[in-house]
Amino acid sequence: MSVIELTDVVKRYQNGEEVIAALDHVDFQADRGEMVTIIGPSGSGKSTMLNMIGLLDTPTEGTVHLDGRNVTDFTEDELTEERRSGIGFVFQDFHLLPMLTATENVELPSMWDTSVDRHDRAQDLLQRVGLGDRLNHRPDQLSGGQRQRVAIARALINEPDILLADEPTGNLDQDTGETILTELTRLKEDENVAIVAVTHDEQMLEYTDSTVRLVDGVVTEVSGR
Amino acid sequence: MSVVDFLWRFPSVQMAWRNLGRNKLRTVLAALGIIIGVVSICSLGMATAAIQQQATSQLGSIGNEVSITSGQDSDTDGVTDDQVDTMRNLVTDAEVVPQKTNSTTVSSRNGREVRVSVTGVTNAAALYNLTSGEAPTRLLSGALLSNSTATTLGIEEGDPVEYDGQLYRVQGLIEEENAFGFGGGELVLPESALSEQNHYNVVTIVAADSATATEIGGELDEYFNTEDEEELSINTFGNAGQVGGFLETLSLALLAIGGISLVVASVAILNVMLMSTVERRGEIGVLRAVGIRRSEVLRMILTEAALMGALGGLIGVLLSLAAGLVIFQMITGDPLGALQWSGFQYLVYGFGFAVVASILSGIYPAWKAANDRPVDALRG
Repeated sequence: MSVIELTDVVKRYQNGEEVIAALDHVDFQADRGEMVTIIGPSGSGKSTMLNMIGLLDTPTEGTVHLDGRNVTDFTEDELTEERRSGIGFVFQDFHLLPMLTATENVELPSMWDTSVDRHDRAQDLLQRVGLGDRLNHRPDQLSGGQRQRVAIARALINEPDILLADEPTGNLDQDTGETILTELTRLKEDENVAIVAVTHDEQMLEYTDSTVRLVDGVVTEVSGR
Repeated sequence: MSVVDFLWRFPSVQMAWRNLGRNKLRTVLAALGIIIGVVSICSLGMATAAIQQQATSQLGSIGNEVSITSGQDSDTDGVTDDQVDTMRNLVTDAEVVPQKTNSTTVSSRNGREVRVSVTGVTNAAALYNLTSGEAPTRLLSGALLSNSTATTLGIEEGDPVEYDGQLYRVQGLIEEENAFGFGGGELVLPESALSEQNHYNVVTIVAADSATATEIGGELDEYFNTEDEEELSINTFGNAGQVGGFLETLSLALLAIGGISLVVASVAILNVMLMSTVERRGEIGVLRAVGIRRSEVLRMILTEAALMGALGGLIGVLLSLAAGLVIFQMITGDPLGALQWSGFQYLVYGFGFAVVASILSGIYPAWKAANDRPVDALRG
């Protein structure tokens, strides 16, 4: 069973008089232990699609299933709970909080859960992404690649089923980008997590299990399945 | 576990503290507004407390008295013997002291003259304190003279004073503790010295405290007077009377002025919180995206505002305490008066107001940030 599944999803935006369909009858699915890449030119609806998969946005039409449950009509608070327990995010420009150390940034998603102590897991994750000697550094003391690895560790802290990455290599040089992709490939197996990445970086296609090509809100090609 | 570790168990406090530390100048400026507000509320409040304390201590000597004179509907030109007897029957728990009054000129041997009021009274002890020794409870011969008059005229204890062709030996000097003065000096003589006056000008009833005095005043008013006819005019100074009312108005006015500065300060906090949440919009979007609940974002930002208020409030209270010590030293001569509840309460109120005003100012920015859709907020 797919961990996340979009069925016939349409997302329309009102732009003045004009109605724009950012996604036009899109189907999508991803399984645990699989990396799916959504690729397409800018403005093709990649980010909108990632927002649907990440339960940050709701579709105008169609349904979203998470782990077999229909979450299409969930309220904002219910969606928050789902994101909290099952989804990890990696953003293009990392989005680490500048006043927190690497460890604290990794702990952030579970910070308000005083019932669990995630401190050890946070340090363990940082060690696994090769930042064992940077635990108490602040983001401004880390390089771009290191920051992205902190962001990946943060996305994994809640033991998610899905890890979403929006242009994970977008702000990194070629070599660092490759290191990050190798890291992600390793983690999807270790953590048995579905990785959905959005990119226009063709380099990513070497690492991915399947690719969804998106043009003007329409899926034009699905490969690798 | 240290206090810091303990506080760190509250994620809202931890996050709020870190956020405040990010832009220290802005935090300090916002807190400065609160500090000024708290200091103005506290020091104005403590100043009125000091004035009130000083005034009550001075009013204390008449606060427990009932003063009775002839009413406007009375047939006689004073209070009669019969009426005094009735009062003595009615009032069992206080001293009834009838007095006859007049005025005269006292002269000294060196020819200097002073106009004084004359009081003929038997129970002088109930009304007067002497510079040394006790005033007699039955003044049958001799006289008492105010200390200042005696000094002016060079009269000492034992010297004679003339009134109405008779000489009276000065038995004691009256200590003038009353700051409100009642004008010049006073000569106190036995009641018999004013025997040509048939009625008493004033009857003073000295009770244990101002509450009892007020009660007695009401009782006598009910007995002697009706709604249309005032046989006796009965005055009490209980509850510090009109002076107290004036001070209350004054203190309210001063607190209102202090309150305005706190309102200004909370508008500054509103502005700072709004700016900082707008600046951090993307960041709050990340928090929401990774599953931080709306209520948790709300709590974090409200805690920021509360911390800022508490910080400003604390510094403000410390400065106000210092100001209070100075104010009390200047007005009452006792700096430690600032630590009594009547003055100290303003520090508690000041701190409370600072925190409450800051939280109120934080509500809108916090609500706005928490309810921003994460997908919109992430775009920054």
